[in-house]
Amino acid sequence: MLPVETIIGEEGLESTGEGLRLAMRLPWYRSLPFSTVEIASVAIDGEPVELSGALVEHDGERWPLAVQGEETDRFWFVRDSSFLILPGQQLPAGSRHEVALTLNISPPYIPGMKRFNRQTATLSVN
Amino acid sequence: MTNESAPQIGVTLYSFTNEWLTRQFDLPGLMREVAKRGMGPNIEIIGFQSFRDFPDVSDDTAARFKDIVAETGLKPTSLAINSDRFMKPGQQPIDDATLVEYHKRQLRSAAKLGFPIARSQFALPAHLLPDLAPYAEDLGIVMGVEVHAPMCWGHPAVQAYAEMYDKLGSPALGWIPDFSGTASRIPESMLDAARRAGAQESLIDLLKEIWPEPGMSHEKAGKLRERALAAGHAPEHIQAASLAFFILANNDPKSWAHMVDRTVHIHGKFYGVDDEGREEAIDYETILPLFRDGGFKGTLVSEWEGHAYDMRDAFEQVRRHQAMCRRIFAEA
Repeated sequence: MLPVETIIGEEGLESTGEGLRLAMRLPWYRSLPFSTVEIASVAIDGEPVELSGALVEHDGERWPLAVQGEETDRFWFVRDSSFLILPGQQLPAGSRHEVALTLNISPPYIPGMKRFNRQTATLSVN
Repeated sequence: MTNESAPQIGVTLYSFTNEWLTRQFDLPGLMREVAKRGMGPNIEIIGFQSFRDFPDVSDDTAARFKDIVAETGLKPTSLAINSDRFMKPGQQPIDDATLVEYHKRQLRSAAKLGFPIARSQFALPAHLLPDLAPYAEDLGIVMGVEVHAPMCWGHPAVQAYAEMYDKLGSPALGWIPDFSGTASRIPESMLDAARRAGAQESLIDLLKEIWPEPGMSHEKAGKLRERALAAGHAPEHIQAASLAFFILANNDPKSWAHMVDRTVHIHGKFYGVDDEGREEAIDYETILPLFRDGGFKGTLVSEWEGHAYDMRDAFEQVRRHQAMCRRIFAEA
């Protein structure tokens, strides 16, 4: 998989007091406004994860995934990971799980272009 | 020694996208590597690739960048800015006033970082140039629109810009040719990447048949998809083969002659330079003399885009490309 196709981040999956935290990479060569990034689905061990209460974290800030389409002036720095926070979900540290992520982007200078990205990885919970 | 009356050579850090995304370098580290390998001094940087606080770089970011410039001896030549007009997918583009201000923010950052040229895009409509030209002039920056595949001279958007350039007569506006629009063939390395992704030879043959046909790129991509699906090829193989329609086009290489006078900077797009010093897809022997003999005195930056489909060593590709360009520029 090319770097520009990679969407599951190097930091992997972490289980914290508030829930699961999944690292994501931006599949493009440059930073993009979050309004053009669609986190379409997450499945863990084949089970779809409910995303309605999910949060997105980047560069020390976080916001509800539900309002991401409005984030036109908040940019995902392409060299950094963002994190998807799934409140209330827990997994035992050290356990291994198949994580499937779908993350689509619409580069804002190319009218009508939408790039679909899906990646599956087996991750050990940190 | 460089000959100031001849075209200059440099590199865009975009060539090292794979090394950047895999965090092999941070910005100071990448600049030091480019300087150490003698690939400068002229460099282009994409604002939205390399600066965390773009589009509004802070005083601290600018000061740290200038420190690295001073340390390495590199010369900031062009800052690629983006004409992000479609901020909400599927909705109306942002309004003109917001788009103009978005460009002004990036032009201010370019000035703050010490770049004399800002690369813009055709997503900025020509009718907004009168709002930006005086602003760029005041900042001492030249704004060049990138003429990238599928566009070239004769395309309606290019003609609209040319007419506005004539009307305004501003020294702050010009062209940045990107040779992706005048490829003579699909690079073999790109076809090999499609093969590795699983595309069968019959699909590659179909691609090679449809790609040079006249018509719009997206229409040709649609035609390939339709015929390939009917022939039983898998959608993921068709997607791998379709990259050629979206990043390169086969317009006439000699058409650049119309644009030399207003060319302020060049993207030396390339995919792979072989052991004999020839680029796989773009006929540099035809294109570069147009600029050399036409009196172009700016900088050509090596822009390797093979990273869009494979993991070859970008530094080796840039080394070969710069040697090729120097050879052709010297053949006056």
